[in-house]
Amino acid sequence: MVTSQLTPEALLPAGAPVTLLAADGRPVPVDDLDLPDDEVLLALYRMMVHGRRFDVQATALTKQGRLAVYPSARGQEACQIGAVHALREQDWLFPTYRDSMAVAARGVDPVQVLTLLRGEWHSGYDPYRHRVAPQCTPLATNALHAVGLARAAVIKGEDTVALVMLGDGATSEGDTHEALNFAAVWHAPVVFLVQNNGYAISVPLAKQTAAPSLAAKGVGYGMPGIVVDGNDAAAVYAVVRRAVTAAAAGAGPVLIEALTYRMEAHTNADDASRYRSREEVDSWLARDPVTRLRDYLGGRGLLSAGARAELDAEAEAAAAQLRQRMQAEVRRDPADLFRHVYAEPPPALRRQQQELAAELAAFEEAGVRDDSDR
Amino acid sequence: MTAIAEHDQDVAAGRADAAGQAEAAGQAVTMAAALNLALRDALTTDDSVLVFGEDVGTLGGVFRVTDGLAAAFGPTRVFDTPLAESGIVGTAIGMAMNGLRPVVEMQFDAFAYPAFEQITSHLAKIRNRTKGRVEMPIVIRIPYGGGIGGVEHHCDSSEAYYTHTPGLRVVTPGTAADAYGLLREAIESPDPVIFLEPKRRYWTKEILWREDRTPLDRAVVRRPGADVTLIAYGGALGTALEAADAAETEGRSVEVIDLRSLSPFDDETVTASVRRTGRAIVVHEASRFCGYGAEVAARVSEQCFHYLEAPVLRVAGFDIPYPPPSLEEYHLPSVDRILDAIERLQWQDTAAALRAAS
Amino acid sequence: MAAFLLPDLGEGLTEAEIVSWHVQVGDVVAVDQEVVEVETAKAVVEIPVPFAGRVTQLHAGPGEMLAVGAPLITVSDEAASGRVDGASGNVLIGYGTAGTQQRRLRPARKDPAAASTRPPVVSPIVRRLARTAGLDLAAIHGSGRDGLITRQDVDRAIEAQAAGRRAAPAPDAGRRTDPAPAARSAEPVRIPIQGVRKIAADKLSRSRREIPEATVWVDADATELLSLRATLNAADAEPRISLLALLSRFAILGLRRHPELNARVEDDAIVMGSPVHLGFAAQTDRGLLVPVIPDAQARTLEQLSEALTAATQRARGGTLRPAELTGGTFTVNNYGVFGVDGSAPIINHPEVAILGIGRIIERPWIVRGQVTARQLTQLTLAFDHRVCDGQTAGGFLRFVADCVESPARIMRYL
Repeated sequence: MVTSQLTPEALLPAGAPVTLLAADGRPVPVDDLDLPDDEVLLALYRMMVHGRRFDVQATALTKQGRLAVYPSARGQEACQIGAVHALREQDWLFPTYRDSMAVAARGVDPVQVLTLLRGEWHSGYDPYRHRVAPQCTPLATNALHAVGLARAAVIKGEDTVALVMLGDGATSEGDTHEALNFAAVWHAPVVFLVQNNGYAISVPLAKQTAAPSLAAKGVGYGMPGIVVDGNDAAAVYAVVRRAVTAAAAGAGPVLIEALTYRMEAHTNADDASRYRSREEVDSWLARDPVTRLRDYLGGRGLLSAGARAELDAEAEAAAAQLRQRMQAEVRRDPADLFRHVYAEPPPALRRQQQELAAELAAFEEAGVRDDSDR
Repeated sequence: MTAIAEHDQDVAAGRADAAGQAEAAGQAVTMAAALNLALRDALTTDDSVLVFGEDVGTLGGVFRVTDGLAAAFGPTRVFDTPLAESGIVGTAIGMAMNGLRPVVEMQFDAFAYPAFEQITSHLAKIRNRTKGRVEMPIVIRIPYGGGIGGVEHHCDSSEAYYTHTPGLRVVTPGTAADAYGLLREAIESPDPVIFLEPKRRYWTKEILWREDRTPLDRAVVRRPGADVTLIAYGGALGTALEAADAAETEGRSVEVIDLRSLSPFDDETVTASVRRTGRAIVVHEASRFCGYGAEVAARVSEQCFHYLEAPVLRVAGFDIPYPPPSLEEYHLPSVDRILDAIERLQWQDTAAALRAAS
Repeated sequence: MAAFLLPDLGEGLTEAEIVSWHVQVGDVVAVDQEVVEVETAKAVVEIPVPFAGRVTQLHAGPGEMLAVGAPLITVSDEAASGRVDGASGNVLIGYGTAGTQQRRLRPARKDPAAASTRPPVVSPIVRRLARTAGLDLAAIHGSGRDGLITRQDVDRAIEAQAAGRRAAPAPDAGRRTDPAPAARSAEPVRIPIQGVRKIAADKLSRSRREIPEATVWVDADATELLSLRATLNAADAEPRISLLALLSRFAILGLRRHPELNARVEDDAIVMGSPVHLGFAAQTDRGLLVPVIPDAQARTLEQLSEALTAATQRARGGTLRPAELTGGTFTVNNYGVFGVDGSAPIINHPEVAILGIGRIIERPWIVRGQVTARQLTQLTLAFDHRVCDGQTAGGFLRFVADCVESPARIMRYL
């Protein structure tokens, strides 16, 4: 039985990636997809400037030992900001460990965003406050969570769309397949956004899939797939916005592949020079998403030098404030280990907590060994 | 919840309640029927409860545990999913995040393994990860264990993997009455529960009272005795009780404990018993090495050291992949094997010998 | 030595120009201290150094261009942030391994002084049973393999303890208890000879084995003695003078006249001294004990009586120290409390004599040619015939008997 109402061709992505602003900043006309309003574009630009500054600062903090690890999204600002800005307040974001910029753009306090990465706790924010699921480390597993949440919204009669972020590597995981399948079978209001940045740590896309594109996989589920220029914030915004609107109206899930590039290494402790060339990295500088939008806005007279400087200063101030706030010591309460394992700690767990408390008290009492002269 | 109410009102009106009628008449019901009743009652009292999995809808489940539920409550609340265990648990997690209470089924014990990551990395951890802001009130029902002549992959006992995962509750009823009471409690619990159903006992009958709830974390003494404590659960409980009866004729007074909750463990009930009897044997189908019994033996030894007349023994499956049906009987703990173990509990060095002599 | 490389300051810029340094070589810097001002194509940026230490090198001067990734400043790791030998440093997913974990000061452990002989390993339940019953495992014989003390051994010891309590008659004269009902089992009960009982048994055996013992005895009219005692104890005088105290006083006087009976045989020599360390037989739940009253000769009758009473109580309560059970030179034994007339007492090795007194009952006696009822008792002296002969022994016993029959006589010797 054929389940999809669309022909396979209609489900497959069009020839070229959807682009609304070319690399040099000039607008590109696209059938049935309008360039977002100036207001939106300015907002996108502002958030991307902030996002990039945040990302750079986080990288610096890691080099200074203030964060345990920071998987950077530098170069992917258009995806991070374009997608988040396209969500409505009642929608949900399901981020990965690389999407800190997006989580912060959604409204989560940047220090809370970094709680996981500084090693303080596994997640630092209340998911229900800004409707952002905890940053997910195991790849693709949260795609199923997004589908379940969206389905539950339909059951409850609520207007909610779930957007889940996936990397190109994650599309190989079984959970991606199962999530796409469930979403399509259930006709769930889910937008799958694959940020194809070319690498899964060191493994290039060519080793990850033989498919003509990642978005093309949608046809296997009866789900439309779209490829978009991931460094074009306007296009990313427009495509995601359209998908969200359609899903909210009951059109079902969409698979969006955004082509972009991971400018930094996988994390600060990765040596990217081992698997990619300087030339390749440099070639993507020419397609910088922030520069592209800046040039377009500047060319349209919507962004004066003064306004730009003001924005940069704003971002700089935010970065300084983040630096300052991150000076504070990581909050450590060993009792936290036991508080939220179950709704109520069972007696045996309470005993373990007491054991640890006794150990710590003994430490207090006895003092620290001085092994410095060993 | 208006969507559900509107959609299912007319469907609910015509639901059959055979098991409920039997119960009202004071007749015994099977464990499978008791589970069905529990699901039915949970679906009735709480609109946020959903039941889904493979073949649980139209078919009513391969063991008929979900029989009639889809017809009674409609396809929004009771439905079949694509054949994908990770998908079933993963989407259940998303639904729980959005305020629903999924009760999902893994068709057979070994087929839950694809969902293992979702269970251990997310289901067990999301409360902890979000410091209690996000709860996972999900029940995963898993028919487990052997003794039904099933072919490969259909008879595993995987409880040790789940009990070893902090954040999960793992329970297993040994009787039909407990099947009802435990499942109701599990569904209402704010914690994720792995609900292991001993399929070889699906057809055992017992009179049950729906007002009786079984607490989620308490063991129970099924049969009092003075000489030795048998600690059992699930499918092995019946075998342990048989062994206790047989031992009685040989002059041994055997106490049998039904653990019911594998995690958390009811230290109080078990240690009180072993301190009285001074001897303990754990009985389970799963293989012995690193099996659940090892934890019980360690705990009992630690907490009852000065009361033990003999080491804590385990009667368990061999350390082999689960056998084919033709050889199953040699693997499963039998009444004789349990009795032999009882005899190895160092009776010769005991006050009992003096007592017997005088 | 850690070199801080010029970081990428944003927007993919590849180099920066040093504007000015805020530190110089030799300065100590702290983590995140802003050390240099650089200018990129867009702005002037302050750069904080990520580690602490002493500046050893500035890699570019003001006005010079530095490429991103090139060394900017080198800092010696005097107080390097947590880098310890063996640490892995930053790894792909986190901070990496750190230095060794902080250790707690642990007080020196005081092992209990190892017992000279440890009982063979016993099971925990056996240990607990023994401890609860107050049994010393060292005194329990292990019937298991290699001397292992089994549950049965402890259970039997507990049974024996209980049976012993039930079977032992009270030291007060005349009171008797029924045979213990528990002893009515068909099977014979094995009661190991151990502990105090064993010590006494060994001593008694040795006495019989080594000492060529002879015994003399005499019947004595104790009527006047009893009358004297009544007088002494009239009007509830305290302390009450006991029969044993009076007998002891007589014995001490007798030993003054026959000092060779107040001696010990040690290594083929007779050790005589003037102090009389008086032992007396006390029957307790644990068996026969012989507490010793040191320097009994220096005590008045009252003091003697007091000491005997106190020692008896302590013997029954089990609180006598070992020192109080040794060093005796002479022993008295009142077996009359058992209701018997005479006894062939066993000398308390390594002493040389023991004086015993039986029960005092009315018997027919001849007084001034007339048969009359008198309070009679029998005195016995067992003695080591190597040390003295019948004359000494008889003389001593006669003297004591005279004291018993005519207590006023002792006035002569005071």
